[in-house]
Amino acid sequence: MGNEAVACGALKAGMTFFAAYPITPASEIMHELAEHEPEIAFVHAEDEIASIHMAIGASLAGRKAMTSTSGPGMSLKQEGLGLAHMMEVPLVVVDVQRVGPSTGMPTLPAQGDILQAAHGSHGDYVPLVLYPSSVEECYRTTIAAFNAAEDSRSPVILLLDGYLGHLQETVDLDAISVEVRPRTLAPLGEGRRHFTGLLAKDGVPKTKDTAYYREWYARLKAKMLETAARYRLYEYHRNPASRLLVVAYGITHRVITPLRGTYSLFKPVRMFPVLEDELRAAADEHDRIVVVEMNDGQYRGEVQKALKRDVLGISLLGGTVSLNEIRERLREL
Amino acid sequence: MNYKDYIKWERMPTNWCPGCAIGTVFKQTAFALADMDLAASDMTVVSGIGCSGRAAGYFNVDSVHVTHGRALPVAEGIKRANPKLKVIVFSGDGDLVGIGGNHLIHAARRDVDLAVICINNATYGMTGGQMAPTTPTGAKTLTSPHGSSYAPINIQGLITSNRRHWFARASAFHVAHLQRTIREAVEWPGFAFVEVMAFCVENFGRRLGFKSGHEMLVNLKEGFKPRSGPEGPLGPLELGVVKHDDQAS
Repeated sequence: MGNEAVACGALKAGMTFFAAYPITPASEIMHELAEHEPEIAFVHAEDEIASIHMAIGASLAGRKAMTSTSGPGMSLKQEGLGLAHMMEVPLVVVDVQRVGPSTGMPTLPAQGDILQAAHGSHGDYVPLVLYPSSVEECYRTTIAAFNAAEDSRSPVILLLDGYLGHLQETVDLDAISVEVRPRTLAPLGEGRRHFTGLLAKDGVPKTKDTAYYREWYARLKAKMLETAARYRLYEYHRNPASRLLVVAYGITHRVITPLRGTYSLFKPVRMFPVLEDELRAAADEHDRIVVVEMNDGQYRGEVQKALKRDVLGISLLGGTVSLNEIRERLREL
Repeated sequence: MNYKDYIKWERMPTNWCPGCAIGTVFKQTAFALADMDLAASDMTVVSGIGCSGRAAGYFNVDSVHVTHGRALPVAEGIKRANPKLKVIVFSGDGDLVGIGGNHLIHAARRDVDLAVICINNATYGMTGGQMAPTTPTGAKTLTSPHGSSYAPINIQGLITSNRRHWFARASAFHVAHLQRTIREAVEWPGFAFVEVMAFCVENFGRRLGFKSGHEMLVNLKEGFKPRSGPEGPLGPLELGVVKHDDQAS
C-alpha cells in the first residue's frame, strides 16, 4: 500500500531515524518501520510535537530522519517545521490527509491540508511540498523528498491522502532505479556551531537586526527556489480536442485518469513552490482551467494566483471521491 | 582541560542580569566538564527557551537552542542517533517542567541517557515574571496578582516514580556540591535530572522583597542544606541525590 511504499522509499533513501505517534490513516508507515529496528532507530514518541523534534535532533546528529502523521498531528508538527526551516535541518514529514477540521472523519480521505502544508507554521518561509498519486510514485517521491531535503537543508513535506496511503498496488521496487543524495550536514560533535531557532548569524543571535533579517531571508528563499527548480515533478497529458484543462493531484488525479480521452489533464507532484511556468504553458493552450480537489478550493486559489486568470473549481468534500460525480460536474461546467 | 575551554568567550557578556544565578550554574557546569576532561567532539548541549535556554550558545561545543519546551525530545533524537555523544540539557523549570512537562514524564520513563540541568527560579523570568508550575503557593506574580493558589509541582516525585531513576537537588549557592552533582549526572548511564535551586532577582525576587542577588543567594545558603542523613526522598529543603539502579527488581 501507499504507506508501505513510503516506508520502503525512506529506507532506500538512507533514512536511519524515524519517530512518530500513531494516527489513522498514517500508522502503517510506523508499523512497517518498527519492523526495521535495530537497523534504524525507531521511536514511538509521546506525541506529534516530540516526534518531529526527535527527528530534528537525529538529523543534526547525522542521520536522515523522518516523521509521519495525519492532519491533527500535522497541526502539532508546525512548531517543529518552523524550527527546522530556521535551523536549516534536512527532514521529511509525511502527512496522510483525512477529513478535518479537528478529529473530523478519521477514516475518510481528504486533501484538506494543502494550505497547512504550505504555510502552517508562523512567519515567512518557502515550503517544499510533494504529492504522489500512485503506490509506485509514493516510493519514488519519498526518495525525491529526502534528496530535496538534503539539497535544501530544510524540511520537505510529503503529502498523501488516506485513500492513497491505503491503496494496494503491485510494484516491483527492484526495477526502479533511483539516485540517492548523501548527507550534506556535518553531524553534531564536528564543530563549535550553534544551531538556534533565533535569527542568527554564524551562531550568534541577531534578534534586533532588520537589515540582516532581509539579507538572511533573501538567501533562504533563493536556496529553496534553487532546490525546487531541480524537482519540477508533474505530468501533463494534452488532449488536442479539449479546450478545458483539468488540474488534479494525489488520489483525485488517479481517479480522473480515464477522462484523458475527453480532457487535458495536469498533475502537479511538486505542489509548492507552485509550478508556475509549467502550469502557465499548459493553461495557455486552453480556454478554461478547472481544479478538482477534495477540499474547498485550496489549490484552486494557488493556481489562480500563479496564472493570474480565473480558474474554476470542483470541490469533493466529505471523504468520497467518485469518477461519475466528477464526470457529471465537469459536464455541467 | 581547563573550564575556560568550554566557554565561548566571544559570546560574553551573557544576556543574564547582574546578580542572576544562571551564570554560577553555567560556570559550575564548565568546571564539571573540565573535571571529566570531556572533548568537544564527544558532547553537545541542548537548551529550550527562556533565560536558562540561552546557555547552550555560550558553551564552546556544537550546541542546539530549540523551541519552548522541546529541549528533551531534540536531545533524545540526538542521543538515539549517536549514542556516543554525551548529551546535556541545560534549561529552566518553565521550559522543562511547564510547557515541556509531557516530554519530561516520558523521557524519564524511557530512561534516556541524558543529563538534565534544570535551573529552578520558580518563575518565568524572561517574559517578565509570571507564575510557573514551580511557583510557591501564595507567591504574587504577574499572572497570580493575588498570590498563587496552587501547590508547586513535585519534580522529585515525578522523576522518582520510575523504577530506575536518578534525581538530584542542588543549589546555586552550594557550588562545590553543585559541581560534583553535575558530574555525577553526566556520568550516570540513564536519565539524570538535577534540579538546581536558583532565583530571579529582577522579575521575581524584588516582588518577594529581596533587594539584590546577594540577598537571594544568602537565602539559598540559609534555606537549603546538603543531606547527611539516611537515603530516601529528599525533604523540601534538602540537597542531595536520590537514585535507584535496580533494573532487575
